[in-house]
Amino acid sequence: MALEGTLQDMSLSDLIQVFRMGPKSGVLLLREQIQHGIIYVSNGRMIDALILRGSERTIVATADEAVIQMLTWDNARFVFQHNPYVHTRPIRIHRDGEQLILEGMARRADPTRAIPYHSITLDTYLQLSPLPNNSGSGVKLNVHQWRILSQVASQKSLRDVCEATKMERTMAIRTVVELLSLGVIEVVAPPRPQKVRHPEKRAVATTARCDFGSDMQRDDASMTNGVHGFGTETKAPPVISHTLLNAIKRRIHAL
Amino acid sequence: MQTLKIVITGGYAAGKTQFIRSISDIDPISTDYAVTLDEERALKNQTTVALDFGTIAINDQVTLYLFGTPGQERFDFMWEHLSIGCLGYVIMVDSCRPGHFVETRRLMDRFSELTDAPFVVAANKQDDPTALPLSYIRRRLELPLTIPIIACVATERESVKQVLLALLQHILLLTPDELDPVSS
Repeated sequence: MALEGTLQDMSLSDLIQVFRMGPKSGVLLLREQIQHGIIYVSNGRMIDALILRGSERTIVATADEAVIQMLTWDNARFVFQHNPYVHTRPIRIHRDGEQLILEGMARRADPTRAIPYHSITLDTYLQLSPLPNNSGSGVKLNVHQWRILSQVASQKSLRDVCEATKMERTMAIRTVVELLSLGVIEVVAPPRPQKVRHPEKRAVATTARCDFGSDMQRDDASMTNGVHGFGTETKAPPVISHTLLNAIKRRIHAL
Repeated sequence: MQTLKIVITGGYAAGKTQFIRSISDIDPISTDYAVTLDEERALKNQTTVALDFGTIAINDQVTLYLFGTPGQERFDFMWEHLSIGCLGYVIMVDSCRPGHFVETRRLMDRFSELTDAPFVVAANKQDDPTALPLSYIRRRLELPLTIPIIACVATERESVKQVLLALLQHILLLTPDELDPVSS
């Protein structure tokens, strides 16, 4: 048995809230056209997620970014299957579900937040993400991604990477965005002009996370709506005494 | 002999037939036929097209009849016949199929047009670890707090008993105390 439906029947943000209320443990599988989404939920909390594309099952997003992208899906079919052993997976989602829902809402309202094409230039500096143990397993990179990745290790600007790889600018930016979605690399601030006495000053990461607070209250106003107005021309139920009703209750109790 | 009627209704594959099967004194009389539509066959192979019927003998004089309605809306002409003179009704909903909430909501509206009888909602399949919580189902069905919603497992007799007891208690609360015994 499983919880099944479409995101039109029940939105992903509702599912995330229900998982927490449970609290539920299991795997949520979503399918939207050629994309498959997987979210691992342990004791009501999302711990890992990824999006796969096509028959090759190429991973296009992982962890927080994958959940945020799935929150923008409208028509996906979903199945949630109970699995109490999900907690054995490594935790790769560190933001609270509500923070991700808010981020998903913001991205839905402003899709330019989704993929930072506009913010990636040849002067963008990149570095490898500090990945936890085995969190990169399962990620298959294509040739372009490997070419970029091989150059990013030494904290170069994208201009340096393009020169080193002889990759065309547009292709390089697109590939960098793919790697950012996978969580393999991250953007860092440009290094400050080097001083003679401190040549090894490290750049500081700029990918600060937003703290949205955790006390988002549900809007339960809709619970009080929709009171059934019984029509005036309806057939009245039979009148029955409390004595008989109590006798029926006793009988059913005794069944 | 006096007969009282309770109707068990709900959307397609909500568990109405099983509900009656679990509590009836007699082997329920079902009018099940093979499912013809592919999307319906994905949920179950047989479906009720007219009614399910079970009984509970209260005492020598009184028998409680349980009538289950067909779930598909194309058989809704039966609902009107079954709702006439019913003491109350149970609306069953599958706790694992949010896609059926809209249909259940429509059915609730239709029944409120057919009868003034009190009702409760039975959220079936609550033994499934993926089942949606009652509070969420209440919100999705836009169910006022005055209408009870009860966790249910239609295959378990004890659970079905609790639903019927909740319905009777709800009827008691809505019935004036000074009434004489029912006149048939």
